Amino acid sequence: MEKRLIKKEALAGIAKRIAEDVTVYAPVRVEENVLFKVLEKGEEPLFTYQNSKNAPKNFFFPRSEVMLRYTRTPKGVEFTAEELFARDGVLMGARPCDARSFVLLDMLFDQEKYKDPYYIEKRNRTTVVSLACAKPPYRECFCTSVGGHPVDDKGADVLITDIGDVFLVEFVTPKGEKLLKYFGDQKADAASEEKKAAVAAAAEAALTWKIATHEVKEKLDRNFNSPFWDGIHKKCLACGTCTFLCPTCHCFDISDEMKYDDGRRLRNWDSCMFPLFTKETSGHNPRPTQKERWRQRVMHKFSYYPENFGAIACVGCGRCVQSCPVNIDIRKIVAEAMELA
Amino acid sequence: MQNPYIPYPVEVIKIVTEVDTKDIKTFRLAFVNKEDEEKFKYTPGQFAELCVYGKGESPIGIASSPTQKGYVEFTVQKAGVVTTALHEMEEGTRMGIRGPLGNSWPIEYLEGKNVVVVGGGFAFTTLRSLINYMIYEDNRKRFGKITVVYGARNPGLLIYKDELKAWAERGDIEMNVTVDKGDATWTGREGFVPTVCKEVAPSPENAVTVICGPPIMIRFTLPVFFDLGFSKENIITSLEMRMKCGIGKCGRCNVGSKYVCKDGPVFTFAELDKLTRDF
Repeated sequence: MEKRLIKKEALAGIAKRIAEDVTVYAPVRVEENVLFKVLEKGEEPLFTYQNSKNAPKNFFFPRSEVMLRYTRTPKGVEFTAEELFARDGVLMGARPCDARSFVLLDMLFDQEKYKDPYYIEKRNRTTVVSLACAKPPYRECFCTSVGGHPVDDKGADVLITDIGDVFLVEFVTPKGEKLLKYFGDQKADAASEEKKAAVAAAAEAALTWKIATHEVKEKLDRNFNSPFWDGIHKKCLACGTCTFLCPTCHCFDISDEMKYDDGRRLRNWDSCMFPLFTKETSGHNPRPTQKERWRQRVMHKFSYYPENFGAIACVGCGRCVQSCPVNIDIRKIVAEAMELA
Repeated sequence: MQNPYIPYPVEVIKIVTEVDTKDIKTFRLAFVNKEDEEKFKYTPGQFAELCVYGKGESPIGIASSPTQKGYVEFTVQKAGVVTTALHEMEEGTRMGIRGPLGNSWPIEYLEGKNVVVVGGGFAFTTLRSLINYMIYEDNRKRFGKITVVYGARNPGLLIYKDELKAWAERGDIEMNVTVDKGDATWTGREGFVPTVCKEVAPSPENAVTVICGPPIMIRFTLPVFFDLGFSKENIITSLEMRMKCGIGKCGRCNVGSKYVCKDGPVFTFAELDKLTRDF
């Protein structure tokens, strides 16, 4: 694996140089938030941030995206074109939890049967450069509880770690190595490896929230009809913030829009927190109250995903905990579920 | 990479109004590009997304049998935006279909066995596909005795009336068509589906029951088959849920860890017992 050392203050310049060649998605300060967005000319990326308000999944799975177009003809309304948008890009500075979310999303969108070309095309053409959490940024962080680590390279093509005075840059995949030319020629030495190991250990130790999640699936499965579920949802406003900020939530709606003779089919993020999500034309709703919807959200992440793909569909970024307007805390729900019989 | 979200273009070549209330119609669709018909190779029990551009898509069970060449058929009740648009269509209109989707009736498992087909009301569409498949020429000898119990609220609500007659006239399939309440012209059987199943009393010996209907019918019919000695493994049904993608990605049609669109819609009651129920 190629490894380089760069000065910390050089990273923003590197991002801007890459942006001259391909699209760069980077954290940028927008009013009081840090958001991942396309880095515009002259715009300053921010690499001293904690984590972004939004998860960077939208570069592969946009909040709204056109799937195909159609037009009215004398024979009816007919298909005109597939719209498969993708471009070469580099996602700079994703936190390890967010980078790991791509591995989890790949499991769903890139299955043996039924591949999702809209996701896969964008994912294949994007290189992920992760910025490790030398210090876990938030009290709400809990990546190690769900299989992640603050200095983790899963989902990353390049991993950058702050090892004190410099950044250690590791080119994890061949895709990542294509970016070598932007990172100078100072090779990393053995000492920097040791420093990285020390940083990783310290970061892990600094995580205050640790919940046991082994066998959480079995606990949840056994307690599907337990009174446990009767209280959790009571504060919930069904606003869907948790699912919109979640790096692994992938539910979507498909809808049609037509103006005069031309139209398009789009997919938009949807949320299991919304009453209409499962409501059928007959009026029947298999998840009639917020209780069933919350149970679905927890079960999907901690039971169904492990069953179908062998991994918990949560990366422990803490966004849903931070941004829930009524302070519902999925860590507490899981911790309490672990107390069940 | 084949884009699974792009429908095949089809043309509506025939529309049949099935019921007196006129809100259930069968649409016969022919592929605009002949090669698409080959790609749309299906098995009874599968479904497809019917696409009306500008309105959306609706997941509907395939009502024709793969033994019927040159077209596919869907029987659709007028209910929401897409199905209403479909009902307003005329022959000759172009639209799209996406599929075939989902698993299917377990044809191989049914081979060599007696098959009891139980349907209620409008939920007879993929059962019709199965029946036409089983009785098609040489296929017939691959299956044992075929017993059908099909009921509707009244004679005007029975679908596929001509076929029901034609099947009854064949000697190789036992037809039991019933209505909850007959009318002046009705000379057939009266009675609810569960009651008729009890009277017909098919033997569980080497037999499988395939059942589709409104939840209330299923609820009262299941105990009849358990009493007759059918095991949960040998009672098979097809589920419906709200769907969008049809390929297990959009996240709304799951029952426990299984997606009805991709792991179903066909399940045995033994399988359903193992799933956390949310439907």
